[in-house]
Amino acid sequence: MSAEVPPRPIGYRIPSLSYRILAGGLRLLPLIVILVGIPVALLTFLSTHGLHVPISILTVTVAGLAISVLSTARYILKPTRAYGPLSMAVSVVTILYLLTFFLAATLVFGLPQHGISVGIGVEGVIGLLLLVPGLGLAAGIVTTIEDVRSPRERLPFDYPP
Amino acid sequence: MVHNLFKGDTPVSYERGALVSNPWFPQSRTPPGLYRLARWFRRISLVILVVVILFLASAAYSAVEVVRSGPTAGNFSASFDSNDTVAVTGDLNFSNHGFYPISAFSVHVRVLNQSSVYLGQGSFGPVTLASGALQPITIAFYLPIETSGPGASLLTENQVLNVSVWGNATYAYLIPVSIAVETNKSWGAPFADLQVSVGAPVPVSGGYAVPVTIQWQNHASFDEAGTLDFSVVSANGPSCGGSSFPVSVPPGGSFDQTKDVSIVSGCSPAGGTVAAEYLSGGLTIPLPPEPIP
Repeated sequence: MSAEVPPRPIGYRIPSLSYRILAGGLRLLPLIVILVGIPVALLTFLSTHGLHVPISILTVTVAGLAISVLSTARYILKPTRAYGPLSMAVSVVTILYLLTFFLAATLVFGLPQHGISVGIGVEGVIGLLLLVPGLGLAAGIVTTIEDVRSPRERLPFDYPP
Repeated sequence: MVHNLFKGDTPVSYERGALVSNPWFPQSRTPPGLYRLARWFRRISLVILVVVILFLASAAYSAVEVVRSGPTAGNFSASFDSNDTVAVTGDLNFSNHGFYPISAFSVHVRVLNQSSVYLGQGSFGPVTLASGALQPITIAFYLPIETSGPGASLLTENQVLNVSVWGNATYAYLIPVSIAVETNKSWGAPFADLQVSVGAPVPVSGGYAVPVTIQWQNHASFDEAGTLDFSVVSANGPSCGGSSFPVSVPPGGSFDQTKDVSIVSGCSPAGGTVAAEYLSGGLTIPLPPEPIP
């Protein structure tokens, strides 16, 4: 009869803060391109061609920057208790951003000089997209609870050795 | 290096690359329940995001294919119809070359005259266009031309009509789309520049007659073939006499004929009117009365 071998304790390996800041900064660049650069370029292109979209460039810029910065902060602070609340913050800002599109309901593209206007209802697609930050918010809440109840419990799985 | 990541915790060593064990950590590699729950939330949200992005990309590509194939216009025709109307009928062929169906597709047309007075409207649908389907669309609308209505001038005056066309549909199950086009179309009157002149009475056996000349130009897109009945009406009401012309005027042609009309004894056409009706194919189209100077 052999004695039961206890499971090997697991540890974790957290990248240093400077490494996380560097990686977060590099990660921030594509985020800004995707969330700010491309949408602003698209809105500018549409407006120069006489197509009016009822979402301002300022709204897109501010919301895109906010989501990018919060997401980067979340990445840098992932090993800390701030990760959960920051996940919630990213999700809440994203939900508010999507709600501005949802409230617009119909994007109307006008070509007044040709007497043409095209309306596209976005509520269905935005409704689906809202599920993404909604689930992110739920994940952030669960992570926050986990960090309060069992600090560092998740670190071996987030940063396996 | 020492990190105090969680406030109140005992500082522990997190040297990079170092394997750290701690009795507080799980003793197995199975993640705890809350961790797994949060991870599933993130995975499901990622799957939804990818699915939505793929859906939007395919819908956008598909929509471009639909727009590129575009509707092709068939024949547009106008003709006199019952109930003092002109029927305007148009054909469009709409093909859906996209991946997704176009459901609840409907097209509506509204026509205003040059004074922005509503004349008529027509509609088509709603129908569902499956992917790859070719849908012929026929839109008919009726413009009133009764002499007392807002469309009376359509008979005798060329004008510019304001035509609004709008369509609604739901594309790719989720995306409602509406398109509105407002344009001006020139209307060619079938009895453009209608003029009636009544000459001086000339004595005939048993009374006298007046020469009545009627002229117009057919600026409409259809033939005029039938009969023009007219009567000379005195200023105080009764008809002094009448006659008819055979009519055969092609589009772009003109009509200019004179006929002597015997006048009832004692009836004076001066200050009266000439009332005319165009009869064709069982339809009677009253024309606006023309005053006699």
